[in-house]
Order: sequence, then structure tokens, then C-alpha cells
Amino acid sequence: MSRTCLVCQNIDCKSRGSEQLMAELEKRVAAKGLTDVEVKPYMCFGACQEGPNVVLYPDKHWYAKVKIEDLDEITEHLAGGPHVQRLDTIDSSLKELIYQLLDTGVF
Amino acid sequence: MEGILFPHGVAQGHEGLKEYRARGGYEALAKAIRTPPEDVVKVVSDAGLRGRGGAGFPTGKKWQFTREAPGEPRYLILNGGEDEPGSKKDRVLLENLPHLVIEGTALAAYAIGATKAYLYINANYAVAIKTITAALAEAKAAGYWGENILGSDFALDIEIVPAPHNYVAGEDTAVLEVIEGRKAWPRQKPPFPVTVGLYGKPTSVNNVETLANVPPIVLRGAQWYRKFGTAESSGTMIFSLDDDLNRPGVYELPFGTPLRYLIEECGGGLKSGKKIKAIMPAAPSSAYLPPEKIDTPLDHNSMRDAGAALGCGVVRLVAEGTCTVEEVIKISEFFTAESCGQCPACRMETNTLTSLLKKVQAGQGGQPILEQFSKVLAFNKGKGFCNLIAMPGPPIESALKLFPGDFAAHLSTGKCPVN
Repeated sequence: MSRTCLVCQNIDCKSRGSEQLMAELEKRVAAKGLTDVEVKPYMCFGACQEGPNVVLYPDKHWYAKVKIEDLDEITEHLAGGPHVQRLDTIDSSLKELIYQLLDTGVF
Repeated sequence: MEGILFPHGVAQGHEGLKEYRARGGYEALAKAIRTPPEDVVKVVSDAGLRGRGGAGFPTGKKWQFTREAPGEPRYLILNGGEDEPGSKKDRVLLENLPHLVIEGTALAAYAIGATKAYLYINANYAVAIKTITAALAEAKAAGYWGENILGSDFALDIEIVPAPHNYVAGEDTAVLEVIEGRKAWPRQKPPFPVTVGLYGKPTSVNNVETLANVPPIVLRGAQWYRKFGTAESSGTMIFSLDDDLNRPGVYELPFGTPLRYLIEECGGGLKSGKKIKAIMPAAPSSAYLPPEKIDTPLDHNSMRDAGAALGCGVVRLVAEGTCTVEEVIKISEFFTAESCGQCPACRMETNTLTSLLKKVQAGQGGQPILEQFSKVLAFNKGKGFCNLIAMPGPPIESALKLFPGDFAAHLSTGKCPVN
């Protein structure tokens, strides 16, 4: 496993359906045979209003307001397909804060 | 040293109604109810009484806001939720001077125009609850609360509500939630309880020690009260010392007393005989002070200028040979556990800080990890419904600043330099 797909599980994202989203993403990643990708819960990315949030690491792609119907495109991206531009809406300073935290190994 | 609450500055056992009356007990109430309630607010304002629960808000101002807010009935709440680690002052007051506390409650209720008061007391304080229950019965029989108090038109009903045993349950809006029968989750502010409080009505929530100061102020006047303490922090404050000192316990001292007096004269220094590495004057949420600041006066302004705070007076010492990384992990874990979880930012901040500290403890993350603390704190600044989110910052940031060697030792070896 060399890549992780972190799904926010703080209460705000949960209230927006992030538990079901994570379960569904796990299934699709498995169905696609992406054995190097691990789907993991993350405590909070600090972007509650934009939730549910999904961050691909160490690739450093952040997808916001993710819905079940977006998951095929995200799985496709993980499999080498195109970056899903319309879900990439988080401002760069917050991304920087969270990516730095992830770089220090906090997850 | 002479005290305002404890005649000799330290608790001397339970005081019954007879003994309390013998030293002027309930005379303040008898005096006050024959004057307009505004006079009680005025004398408390003139005395400069500030809240003893941690924030130091002027009590007279709080009462004024409550009195002037539209809506009836108004409520008074005595906050004895006391769940800060190491704090025991409210318990000691309730157990030792129950009538002083009851008289203070009655005076406060009269001042704000409340006819119902709740005594919100930590449910773990069995002795305090038993003592206050017995004292309430005595006081009611003597006509100090109930209908037509001391023959006047003033009526007051008092009810005890046990407070859940967790940290945020002492936050003033969480107190309202508990009394209304819900779990102890702080409310978003504003509105503040003084305007929209219990059942949506104007409510004054005052700490036990704050209200215990009211009878002496009403009885002896603002000028007398101001003889104690400093201009901006008048009166005395009760400080709590932990078991690692030779003489642990609670000490009532005038504001402005040097920290050294509390630690050395009252507490007798560290039991271990070790030197002091750091002092936390408002444990567990204030910054650490280096030992050279031991002469800082114990008052709000001096502590703020020194970079710390007074909080509710729990003074904790860190002995030489203690690793501050290990110390702040305990503090950070405490706030992570005590975060009620309703505000995502607070969960994010407290969990992230604890995770970062554990990485440091294990020697992971290198120098860049030390830069993350201030970023996480800055990102969450001002967020959340209550102040808990602001509490882990000062201990962590001051430890990083004062004791970089402890952090560097962990990072370079992955082991604690001490343990």
C-alpha cells in the first residue's frame, strides 16, 4: 500500500454522509483492483462547510463536497485517470496547512 | 493572613448557622432587603468584584446586564460545577462555609430580581451536597429564603442541581443546558446568558467563590473590600495547591500577593525538594512561567503581563527533571478527552495537537513538526462555541518556547530525556 485516500469523519462531514461515502469508496477501490490504495478515515480537514472532504495522499489532491455519484470519477483518478477539477475547490492556504500536517505523519 | 472568606485565610472546618450568625452572618441580607436591589449591584460594582470562575468578568456588570435585560422571570445560578483538575476551592467553600454561600446566593438573587436560584454542584461532591442541603433547611427555617424573607416582600426558591462530572459542564451555557435537562453542551454565544439564559430568560451564572464574596461586601462596604488586593483585582482569591507541595490545599490570599509567597510560605515548596522548572499559575490552561517569574504578583494584570493568567487559581509546579513534552501531552490529552465534540474545529484542533505531540514524543516528524502547532492553533482561533478550544494553546506554545531542549531531545532520540 503506498497511497491513501483519507475521508473526513468529523461530525460535520458525517452529518453530510461521509460514513456511507467512505464505505462506498472502499468498495469501488476494491472493485477496481487498486491494491495499492488504502481508504482511511481522517479526523478532520477543517473544511466542514465544504464537506464531505476526501484527500488523496501523498498525491495531494483534495476533493470537496463529494457525493456518492462522484466516486466513480475519483476511483478513475486513483487508477490513473484525470484529476476531477470540479471537486477541487478548497483554497490553497488550507490545503497547505493540512498537507504539511500529513507530511509530518499525522494521520 | 487575614481573609475575607476564611477568617484566617484557610479553611477551619464546617461552620454551622449559629457560628455564622455569631460573626455577622445573614446581617448583609437583612440590610440589603431593606434597600433597593440597585444598591446591592452598586456596592458590588464599586467593590470591583470580579468573577472567580476563571474569566474574571466584573460581577456588578453581569448583574446589571441581567437586571436590565427584558424578560421575566430572571434566574440566578450558583456555579459549583468545578471540574478543573486540581481545583478544590468551591468544594471547600461549600463544605466549610455553606451559609456564607447561601447568603451570597440570596443577595445575588435579590440584586438581579430573581425569585429562583439553582445551586449547580459537581455531582461527585457528596459531602458538599449533603452539607449544603442541611444548611438550606436550617436557613429556610430561619427565614433566610422561601416566602417573605425576613418579613419582606422578597421571595426566593432555591434548588440543588447535581452537575455532571466533566470539564465543559462548568461552562456557563452548558450549565443552562444541564438544568434544562439536556447534556452539557455549551451554546453558541451571543446571546449571552445575561440576556437569553435559562429557559430563554435573563440569567446570571456566578461561581461559588464569587458569590461567597458578596455578603462581606454588602455588610462592610466597597471601600473596606478594596483594602484587599489591587486596584484592578480587588479582594482576595482562593488558590489551590497540589499534593506535590509540602502543604497542599487551598489558601485565600489578597490579589497582588507574590506567587512566591503562595508557593514557599503557604505550600512550603516541592515535597521532593527539587528546584522548580516551571510554574503554571492557571492550570491546566495557562502558559508556563519560568522560575525567575516567581515574584509575579497574583493578580489579573500582572499575570497577563507575565504571559500567563490567573484562571480559577490552580497553581501547578513542574519540578526540575520533569520533561515538559510529557507534561503537555497529559494536558493535551485532557482537553481532547474533555472536548464535548459538538464543534468540529475543537475536535480537529485538540485531536491534531495530541497527535502531533505523540509524534514528537516518539521522535517522529523532525523539526518541521514543531512548526505545525502554531499553525493548527492559528487556524482554529476564535472558532467553537466555548473557550475550551483556546485552552491547549498556551501550555503547548509556552513549553515549546521555554523548553525547546525537551522537544529536541525527543525528536533526536525518540526517547524521553528524563524517563
